[in-house]
Amino acid sequence: MTKESRVSICFFAPAGIFMLVFLFFPVALLVRDSFFEIDMIAQGRGTFVGLSNYIEAIRSERFIGATTNTLIYVVVAVCFELILGLFFALLLNTAFKGHGIVRTIMLAPLMIAPLVTGLIWRFMLNNQFGIVNKLLYDYNITSSRHAIQWLSDERFALLSTIIADIWLTTPFMMLVLLAGLQGISKTLYESADIDGANKIQTFLYVTLPSLFPVMIVAVLIRTVDAARTFDIVWVLTQGGPSNSSEVLSTYMYKTLTRYGLVGESSAMAVIFIILLLVISSYFLIAMFKANKK
Amino acid sequence: MSKPNAGVSNENTLGRLFKKNKTIIGLITTVLALLFISPYIYIVLTSIKPSSDAISPSPTFFPRELSLENYVAMFNQMPIAKYFFNSFITASISTILAVFLGALAAYGLSRFSSKTGNIFLLLTLCVRMVPMISIAIPMYIIINGMGLIDTRVALIITYTAINVPFAIWLMIGFFNNIPKEFDEAARIDGCNIFTAFIKVILPVSLPGLATAAIFCFMLAWNDFLFALLLTSTNAKTATVGISEFLTAYNLDLGPMTAAAVSFSLPVMVFSILVQRYIVSGMTLGAVKE
Repeated sequence: MTKESRVSICFFAPAGIFMLVFLFFPVALLVRDSFFEIDMIAQGRGTFVGLSNYIEAIRSERFIGATTNTLIYVVVAVCFELILGLFFALLLNTAFKGHGIVRTIMLAPLMIAPLVTGLIWRFMLNNQFGIVNKLLYDYNITSSRHAIQWLSDERFALLSTIIADIWLTTPFMMLVLLAGLQGISKTLYESADIDGANKIQTFLYVTLPSLFPVMIVAVLIRTVDAARTFDIVWVLTQGGPSNSSEVLSTYMYKTLTRYGLVGESSAMAVIFIILLLVISSYFLIAMFKANKK
Repeated sequence: MSKPNAGVSNENTLGRLFKKNKTIIGLITTVLALLFISPYIYIVLTSIKPSSDAISPSPTFFPRELSLENYVAMFNQMPIAKYFFNSFITASISTILAVFLGALAAYGLSRFSSKTGNIFLLLTLCVRMVPMISIAIPMYIIINGMGLIDTRVALIITYTAINVPFAIWLMIGFFNNIPKEFDEAARIDGCNIFTAFIKVILPVSLPGLATAAIFCFMLAWNDFLFALLLTSTNAKTATVGISEFLTAYNLDLGPMTAAAVSFSLPVMVFSILVQRYIVSGMTLGAVKE
């Protein structure tokens, strides 16, 4: 071993040991627990049950329902965030007078806690005192003040959580896409101009393809984050009514704390990790291909 | 004004589409942006309404009269100051730990072994993919086994563990940009590797450290899941406390808005002040400079 690598290890060791004990060991424990049936109260090591936790999870309707809801949540939220974020990024990129101030306004929600976002929307979507229903009524969109029970109607509960997510994270999308737009080389536009491309063609054949790699990364980051959502859903609906807005995180949390099923919640968590890894490697491959071009 | 034309030179895309109508676009965008953040403004305005107005069946956007009732009620209903203190302590200590451990490790990886560094970058990216809840489940078992449930130490450990990979990832980028001549010059001046790191490298990389610290602090400060799972009374943090306005005092939405504003407004003001660091941290990885 060279002196250099020994020094490197010395620098790395404190963080490495910390992560080993409190990050990698927990993940290993998670995988182990997923094959065991464990009694939380008895604190024993549990009994080995093979794959039965996994089979039980996959067979359970609630798990399938939560997975479906998570997928809907991710797809709808990320799509809207991408469209809205791109829209705002393009507007801000026009560099009108005072665009710096408007950008700061748009970035203000960036650091708001998801929990606070949940509270804001819980307040605004409230059936009795919510301002959203009042506005809908005032502008004659709905026929009564209580026409839409945003948080207690099975048809709207999941949608409400998605609205809150879109509000919270569109600024992030905008920020990344704006940085991407500003990184596109000017010469590309000049040559498009020389080739006689009109503005829509320039947007479709120059701007969008150049922005594509940045878009993939932004969508990947947001997909992973949206899939892990917990705070917003917990505060708004706790997964209800009758599991209509249950996502994987809230369902696992309940399985662990309310039913004390360590093994089963661990199995679900492992499935969840694998799902996310598969999805994100799909994105990474797409990004790789885009970069090669 | 280092980049006076940063925006102007980039007036491509829509800028080309509506070059003449820039002012109109500016106006429209301003209105849209204000509409976009209006939910937050609404909460701030509600928190300074009298509490009966906060739960009025016909709410108005602007307060009819101003009052601090909600803020007084917030303190009366629960030991919210203690929860804020818990949040602040756990977030601060875990941030210091994570940034310190992360900077050390990143320096080691960036200076002495680029191959391991790359492997490690990949590993930290993988860790980012692991959902919080998946770490929370075994963490709960471990913390429970250590008898640390409902202690601030439990939260500090958890936040540090989650933040260290991120801090490493961010700091490696910064250290790679600092020329090795810096280290060598310090060594010639009689520093050993460690004092060179502390006396020369760390001061130069303050912007990177600041960015890492902001993000680590925010993750811990905003966390709800781990605090909900690992604490009950003593170490309860502000997020969990605020969320209880919804369950324990169901109709006290007024104090709830006061607490939500107290919790988020300082952070918002701060994040506007340090926007530069936040922007650089968030676009890192997505946009190549």
